[in-house]
Amino acid sequence: MRANVWSGRNTVQVENVPDPKILNENDAIVRITSTAICGSDLHLYDGYVPTMKRGDILGHEFMGEVVEKGPGVRNLEVGDRVVVPFPIACGNCWSCKHELYSVCENTNPNSGLAEKLFGHATAGIFGYSHLTGGYAGGQAEYARVPYADVNQIKIEDDLPDEKVLFLSDILPTGWFGADLCDIEGGEVIAVFGAGPVGQLAMASALMMGAERVIAIDGYEYRLAMARNKAGATDVIDFSVDPDIVEQLKELTGGRGPDAVIDAVGMEASHGHGALHAIDRVKQANRMESDRGHALRDAILSCRPGGIVSVIGVYGGLMDKFPTGALMNKGLQLRAGQAHVQRYMKLLYEHIKNGDIDPSFVITHRLGLDQAPDGFETFKHKQDDCVKVVLNP
Amino acid sequence: MSNKAALTIACPRAELERLWRESGYLDGVAASVRFADAPGDRGTEIHVTLERGAPGGKLGEALMKLTGREPLAKVKDDLRRFKQEVETGVIARSDSVPEGELAERKLKQRPAHPLDPSEPDKAAV
Repeated sequence: MRANVWSGRNTVQVENVPDPKILNENDAIVRITSTAICGSDLHLYDGYVPTMKRGDILGHEFMGEVVEKGPGVRNLEVGDRVVVPFPIACGNCWSCKHELYSVCENTNPNSGLAEKLFGHATAGIFGYSHLTGGYAGGQAEYARVPYADVNQIKIEDDLPDEKVLFLSDILPTGWFGADLCDIEGGEVIAVFGAGPVGQLAMASALMMGAERVIAIDGYEYRLAMARNKAGATDVIDFSVDPDIVEQLKELTGGRGPDAVIDAVGMEASHGHGALHAIDRVKQANRMESDRGHALRDAILSCRPGGIVSVIGVYGGLMDKFPTGALMNKGLQLRAGQAHVQRYMKLLYEHIKNGDIDPSFVITHRLGLDQAPDGFETFKHKQDDCVKVVLNP
Repeated sequence: MSNKAALTIACPRAELERLWRESGYLDGVAASVRFADAPGDRGTEIHVTLERGAPGGKLGEALMKLTGREPLAKVKDDLRRFKQEVETGVIARSDSVPEGELAERKLKQRPAHPLDPSEPDKAAV
């Protein structure tokens, strides 16, 4: 089959690789009809996530048709149309039973490797380095889906791929980011990053009852999408004025947002002169893995007693973490890879009811063979790119 | 170097002890195995203590750590596999680690793409 593989920093290429096979009785094989490039794929592309290997198939947002299933798969039939969540969950461990699917205790066969870096292993993830199991990803014609009873949602109507594809990651991730903010109605929520996840976090926060949502980004076209499509009530363009903390205070009568969502992660590109320069040099020399302006400013701007929700991806260590502000302001710091399986059903209902159509983030539609162009366009924010969907 | 490893498995203690005896894991390894009820609804803790360190003293230890053949790493592999079998019925296998959790595989990962049918022999560590 054809697949998009990582072949070194800033290089991916579409190659012929063997077709996937059933390895365990509860596996299924899916013929992929739509897949996407995720912002977090860029961290792999840029070489900031350790344990990548040449030949790794990328991609953790995909959907398609079941073409084969192992004898242990109970709730799927060949021919079913499914969306596959990015974290691979077993469904049976204590974490899965408590809906903490992204920290499933059984699906990462490289847990020894992960424990060295993080203290504990987390769930396997499709196409997302060997630290999360070394599973082949979904930017391909076919993929093997392990524990297939747990790791899919069946699409039983004729909604087009584009409307349901993002149940795999970015819609549940955005929703999870907003869910961590304990929104009850009337809050002001600030979202750092107006990429696809940030856009859907904004839309989710509004659906949950937030009164105002402030989008923060450095690209005019992404802020325009936030305002016009995601529903942001205010925007901050840090390419115009980099002092985000002051602007957030001004917009909130000096209080600061009730909760702040970091939808940026380890490659933040704003930041104040000297600190940013130090971070950039240290990260380029692999002395610091995580560039932290977004998280620092999130903590500095959040109102005392508020919540900082981290859904942007970090991979290692950060310098100059504002522990003083975190502690003395009494903030709650919440984080995680989204527990996608917890939200898929609910969000599928919202899509069917027309409450949200996450396809508004799509700006580019390409064939699988054009994946390398897709990565370059997305990485360099060319051609007003927000989200690339690939059709194998 | 620690000579202890522990895991918690979502299974009642009596059943887990029976499954452990039937599993054959750590047969022939000089280690003591202790079971304890985990708090709340968490199941059972399994604690393994190796009776002695690696042969060859500190140097032997370092060499074994490098090659992934350190005895404690093998114990941890076995505990993880046992937990996976008890809780899910299968051993987690990925494209880069097709045989499941294996300390020797840590430094000799396959790329994360499917094995060619002719490849399993070549892929062995």
